[in-house]
Amino acid sequence: MKTPRNIFKGSIRPPDNDSAFILHPHKRGVPNVGRMAHYRDDDEVDMLIVGCGAGGGVLSQRLARRGWRVVVLERGPFWDPDRDWVSDEAGSHKLYWTDKRIVGGSDPVQMGKNNSGHGVGGSMVHYAGYTPRFHPSDFETYTRDGVGADWPISYWDLKEHYERCEAELPVAGQHWPWGDPHGYPMGPHPIGGSAEVAWKGAEDCGIEMRVGPVAITNGAFGNRPHCIYRGFCLEACKVNAKGSPLITHVPDAIEHGAEIRADCMAIRVEYDESAGRVTGVTYLRDGQEHFQRAAAVAVAGYSIETPRLLLNSKSARFPNGLANSNDQVGRYVMVQGASQTAARFAEPMHMYKAPPPEVSSEQFYETDESRGFARGFSIQTVSPMPIGWSEHVIADGHWGYALREYMRDYIHWTVLGVLNELLPHPENRVTLTDEPDQYGMPIPRFDYSQSDNDRANIAYSKKVIQDIWEHADAQDTLTIDRYAHLVGGCRMGDDPDESVVNSDHQSWEVPNLFITDGSVMPTQGSANPALTIMALASRLADRLTSKRVDAQGLRAVPSG
Amino acid sequence: MAKHFRSGDAGHLPNQRKSGGIGPPDELPRQRRGTTPQMYGRYPDWDVLSQQGHWDIVTRNVVLDRVQKVPPFRFFNEEERRTLKAFSDRVTAQDKEPRIPVMSMVDAKLDAGELDGYQFAGMPDDRDVWRIVARGLDETAREAGGHDFASLSEEAQRQIVGRMADGELEGGSWEELDVSKAWSVVTRHILSAFYSHPWAWNEIGFGGPAYPRGYAAFGVGTKEHWEPDPAFDVDPVTDTQDRGLE
Repeated sequence: MKTPRNIFKGSIRPPDNDSAFILHPHKRGVPNVGRMAHYRDDDEVDMLIVGCGAGGGVLSQRLARRGWRVVVLERGPFWDPDRDWVSDEAGSHKLYWTDKRIVGGSDPVQMGKNNSGHGVGGSMVHYAGYTPRFHPSDFETYTRDGVGADWPISYWDLKEHYERCEAELPVAGQHWPWGDPHGYPMGPHPIGGSAEVAWKGAEDCGIEMRVGPVAITNGAFGNRPHCIYRGFCLEACKVNAKGSPLITHVPDAIEHGAEIRADCMAIRVEYDESAGRVTGVTYLRDGQEHFQRAAAVAVAGYSIETPRLLLNSKSARFPNGLANSNDQVGRYVMVQGASQTAARFAEPMHMYKAPPPEVSSEQFYETDESRGFARGFSIQTVSPMPIGWSEHVIADGHWGYALREYMRDYIHWTVLGVLNELLPHPENRVTLTDEPDQYGMPIPRFDYSQSDNDRANIAYSKKVIQDIWEHADAQDTLTIDRYAHLVGGCRMGDDPDESVVNSDHQSWEVPNLFITDGSVMPTQGSANPALTIMALASRLADRLTSKRVDAQGLRAVPSG
Repeated sequence: MAKHFRSGDAGHLPNQRKSGGIGPPDELPRQRRGTTPQMYGRYPDWDVLSQQGHWDIVTRNVVLDRVQKVPPFRFFNEEERRTLKAFSDRVTAQDKEPRIPVMSMVDAKLDAGELDGYQFAGMPDDRDVWRIVARGLDETAREAGGHDFASLSEEAQRQIVGRMADGELEGGSWEELDVSKAWSVVTRHILSAFYSHPWAWNEIGFGGPAYPRGYAAFGVGTKEHWEPDPAFDVDPVTDTQDRGLE
């Protein structure tokens, strides 16, 4: 398995990740689960990771490859696409993190299917597949535009990891002219009717579009099948064409000795007062409490669960939650504005076919002072299935006979969406309520309110997509407001008073505690976050395995 | 007398209508194959269930169960069922049989605790929202002179539903929640049940599950050979006569 063989010539093969080649050609489930390593709870592993999504999945593969003894605790199941997933909207409910979360603030964010996953692969199991990079400007919005925050790293620190992850997913798309211009390992997928009309309308108002980038195979890539354009990307890819860590990193991680321990809910990271270090994680499995020992812990539970786990890990030294003396844990959580405008055309569009993400534009990504607000937005096609379409119709105020009439018109419609860079605010935060959940852990509360800049950005972007549809000669349009994605909550920074972790994802207060998911992002750009979360984890793994992270954070680990 | 339709026109859409409200689509053709809710639709010969041989077995079982295994009511009591069935019939315009059993499907989800993963601050748990809404509808119906919501005329029921959609109901049980947010909670559950049902897919011409077959024709104006033709471009009356179906 480890040596490239001639038979693989003609197929793109990442140099240090065999996942696509470990997969079975005729079955979709990860084939090497049966021979996965198992560590005892009292065995002190080198790195214990909480959460097996974009961050945890990549980190586990990278560290295992370099000989680290790695365990990943994952709350959800170890999915087998053949057995567990369906080509059906309502039947995909089990993919989402549906434990209760209280949502407040003046502009509360709906959780669940829109932004929260569980199970091996995380939210990437049900993301649309869009994998754009961030722009160089995203890492210095404070310096450039006086808003948001500067990151402690730059785009150029991540670039090589963007390229590595794009090769592993693998990403298909046209050459990308925005941000740092770049190409992709695979060519663009064909586009459907929805994208054709959007492209024409955009061109007519001087807006450039491109096909992709999507993490969907478009050619030979190990045992990953080609996309069959069935459109159910948000319902998890039963084909194994769309990449998520379940098939892009976990098979290789297991091959190199990592244990992915599914159905385990982490409830506390334990801290040893005398050593000033964390010692492992207490978790629940089948209702039983366990404690896994570890030399270092990386939390990768995403923007709600990561802060929640730290806030719930109280000790005499950290009465307000682990690594939270400065009251920064849980703050600056961000979502992107994601308003959508549907348009009606005389010809049938059949928007349910082909992947929902088809064409997009980043022409409005950076600040343009003439628009009257800082930062910008991107434009992407989205293609709701029937339930999603009905939510769109009723949000525009139609119920009863009117709802049915719009629904019967389904095949004539197509939808464009925006992703607005909404700015980070300290009061947009995760806190704990007094009410316990089924694990006895306090239910989290997420408050979210928009600023004036956020509102101006959203209003402007809605006019742009309306304009595109008018130029495309749409016969009718329906617009709704919504949000997408989650990042922030434990941001990285240069100042220990203003951030939770340093540029190496390492807690300022606890040297062997790391955070390796989207919650470390100080700003969010207008790009879908999955690829950047993976690239961050990939960079951290490089820093750890080449011992560029302060040694006191780790015990003497195997050379690699 | 049925009118002549063109699917390319958008004049039938509620936002584009020049005058009047929108009522039952009596002008649409009757369903000839398969079932649609109330047996009308634009694809009279489309039965998505006829494609089930092309669906993977796991998906097929999930979809067929919705048609063949209507779950018994466990969560709602007798009174709540009566009120909420009438309510969901108005929200989804199911004014006659055959009906998709929306409330049975919602009941099963609530009974199993399958919720959506969030609760608005200041709002009760979704399961309590449903019970309060049932109570509130009956209270408002009594103010309108009825015995309960289900005993009102359909038109009177629609007026109350319209006031709920606009967030305008108040007093009594309605004070226990934010009416607009409650509307969002209950309609989300109702629509998710209704449009998960293959009868609704027949009505809207949706191709249904697509694994392992996938799609090949997705350009503007194209379709797979097995996908339905809209009947909008033909006069349903003369068409049925021409085809000797009546």
